[in-house]
Amino acid sequence: MARYSSLRTLQCARAIACSAIGYFSAVTATPVLAQELNGAYAQHHRILPPAATRSLVSYATPRVNLVRSDGQHVLLSDEIDDGRPVVLDFVYTTCTSVCPLSSQTFSALQEALGSERERVHLVSISIDPEQDTPQRLSEYSSHFDAGPQWQFYTGTLDASLAVQRAFGAYRGDKMSHPPLTLLRMAPGQPWIRFDGFATVADLLGEIHRPLAAR
Amino acid sequence: MSAARAVLGGLLALGLLVPVWAASDPHGGTPVPNIGESIYQRGVLGSGAQLQGLREVTAQGGGLLTKGSDAACINCHLRSGLGSISTDRRVSIPPITGQYLFQPRQMKAGDHDLPYVENVHADREPYTDASLARAIREGVDSEGKPLSSLMPRFALGDADMAALIAYLKTLDPRRVPGVTDTVLHFATIITPDADPVKRRGMLAVLQQFFADKNAFPFGPTPHLRSSGKGIYSKSLYMANRRWQLHVWELTGPPDGWQAQLAQDLAREPVMAVISGLGGSNWSPVHAFCEHERLPCLFPNVEVPVVADHDFYSLYFSKGVLLEAGLIAEAIGSPRAGGQRAPLTVQQIYRAGDAGEAGAAALAAALARRGIPVQSRVLPAGAQGNGVADALRLAESATTLVLWLRPEDVAAMGNAPATPQAVFISGLMGGLENAPLPASWRSRVQLAYPFDLPDRRVVRVDYPMGWFSFRHIPVVAEQVQVDTYLACGLLAETLNHTADVFVREYLVERMEDLLEHRYLTGYYPRLALAEGQRFASKGGYLVQFGGTQGNTLVAAHDWIVP
Repeated sequence: MARYSSLRTLQCARAIACSAIGYFSAVTATPVLAQELNGAYAQHHRILPPAATRSLVSYATPRVNLVRSDGQHVLLSDEIDDGRPVVLDFVYTTCTSVCPLSSQTFSALQEALGSERERVHLVSISIDPEQDTPQRLSEYSSHFDAGPQWQFYTGTLDASLAVQRAFGAYRGDKMSHPPLTLLRMAPGQPWIRFDGFATVADLLGEIHRPLAAR
Repeated sequence: MSAARAVLGGLLALGLLVPVWAASDPHGGTPVPNIGESIYQRGVLGSGAQLQGLREVTAQGGGLLTKGSDAACINCHLRSGLGSISTDRRVSIPPITGQYLFQPRQMKAGDHDLPYVENVHADREPYTDASLARAIREGVDSEGKPLSSLMPRFALGDADMAALIAYLKTLDPRRVPGVTDTVLHFATIITPDADPVKRRGMLAVLQQFFADKNAFPFGPTPHLRSSGKGIYSKSLYMANRRWQLHVWELTGPPDGWQAQLAQDLAREPVMAVISGLGGSNWSPVHAFCEHERLPCLFPNVEVPVVADHDFYSLYFSKGVLLEAGLIAEAIGSPRAGGQRAPLTVQQIYRAGDAGEAGAAALAAALARRGIPVQSRVLPAGAQGNGVADALRLAESATTLVLWLRPEDVAAMGNAPATPQAVFISGLMGGLENAPLPASWRSRVQLAYPFDLPDRRVVRVDYPMGWFSFRHIPVVAEQVQVDTYLACGLLAETLNHTADVFVREYLVERMEDLLEHRYLTGYYPRLALAEGQRFASKGGYLVQFGGTQGNTLVAAHDWIVP
């Protein structure tokens, strides 16, 4: 699709850096980007740092029932322990600033994964479950061209809160929910946590290492 | 940077832009072509093509493309142009109205008359038209520093850019009608078919709230948080303004209401409409508020207008339409009875009352599940007449749904052996006080779009104490508590908006603050967002239980249809 044609360049530009980034993706960029980032940090008191910080964290998956956008009632652990690497974020469909960028990144990520995309499970969980009915999530999913590898979940308010708390994502209200992306290569492994806007390159870098090694 | 611009230009040249000039004028009348507003609010360029922007732009000019309404400025900077800041202060979207962008910063302390907003990014050179165009196209601020990664780099031609910048200049906070140096004017709107008892109860609460608000001593207030050195030293304080309430009572048939309201507004300019009371038709009032761009905050209406993409009207819930959703869930969901014989659903409502809309919504919701509904319509007025007859005719139904007022409920007579399931609108029937005849009382499930009485005790105690202390007779508890809640939300939001009197900003701040509110009266939780106009989204179906038969027992968990 034309929409993502420019993405390939993005991956190439940053993939090399990503494979060596370790814990600070902020210092990974080309000279032009590095200059931008330094400039951004110089005024970090007033704008969001552009790079996500990466950390490794262990989370116990809560025993929570959710409703998938196709209306199926499912157990969260069954969904994320299906053997595939999981990339998980929290969204709500009427969100206008943070979530659209996260969802756009997921959308671009599935494009960038190409034929490997169905070997990865993208999971987006609503933090506004009373508004986000399965039908609204389906519409949202189509809007971002989500393929079968990317699924959306809602449920009761309590269920959503339980998941948010379990993954250290609860901030008290949906309006202040921070950009956060979690990635786990396999059940039992720790989660890689990106606080801030993880880029497609950040996520691809994580996914590609083990997949290539298999 | 020029590479990014070249790519954006390339996208334009390659014809990747799809014309989607479908935007109609939301305010009726002859559309006024305002290209700047169209770019800002809908992401539609002067040519009709979609606005396009790139995020995460690389040196090679790649990045994440956003377009059309997804790319529109309004998504982040909001309708007011005053932006927002998240509670944890991590995401701060600056105000981008003309004054905030262009006003020189080297002004003498105290000269600055910019209203204070928390998220202002003041520490930079003022923009010029040229440096602002560069910021929008290339993502660098007036001093050449990169903007936040959230801000896309937009492909805008010179004419579109000029139109957009001109539009930003029109967004400047300015005194809105209804705001003077000493008074904030508000109106409340009452339709002629509103219940007279509820009207009396609501007005008593409103008038007392305004009187209390005005009981504090007046005079110049000390400047808040101001050392006298900051650029906001003059503006960062809140003037004590008296609140004045105007009661707009509509008369005659609904098609004349908008003209009456226009006259009321011309005679008594107000900043917003607070609370209010409707009957079976609120749509002329809703349309008026949208047309006048006048916030219409939490009226007491059983039949609100469902238009989540309208902006100015906020409601506590969808009223009888929510009840229809709750009942449809109970009737249509497999958990209600598992395997069973085909359902025959009959509903009874009185012509011209709110039940008409509830019944239509239920029929539509059940039709989507393949369940037909037969409706029996009682003639308008004549409360209490014809109900028992209609019930006898509906005896063969497996499921009965009643959209009836207390007078009709009291006249229901003896319950027949069938139907098996009986649902009744709680809002219309009087909630737990519905005067159900004894033989029906143990049978019915009451739609209950509120939290249960024992769970809301603490949240309702405060307003009830307030009423009692001020000798306000409680004649319609739920309406009065909702009215008190609406007033409290308005007062709280105005405290947070300091002296920024912009109608859109009032609505935006209310959306933000609502979710933090603990004392939410009859509702377990309230939340709004852009595109969400109903703050409470669910409810219960309850039955009368307990030893005396006067305890409400929820038949299911909280249901969100």
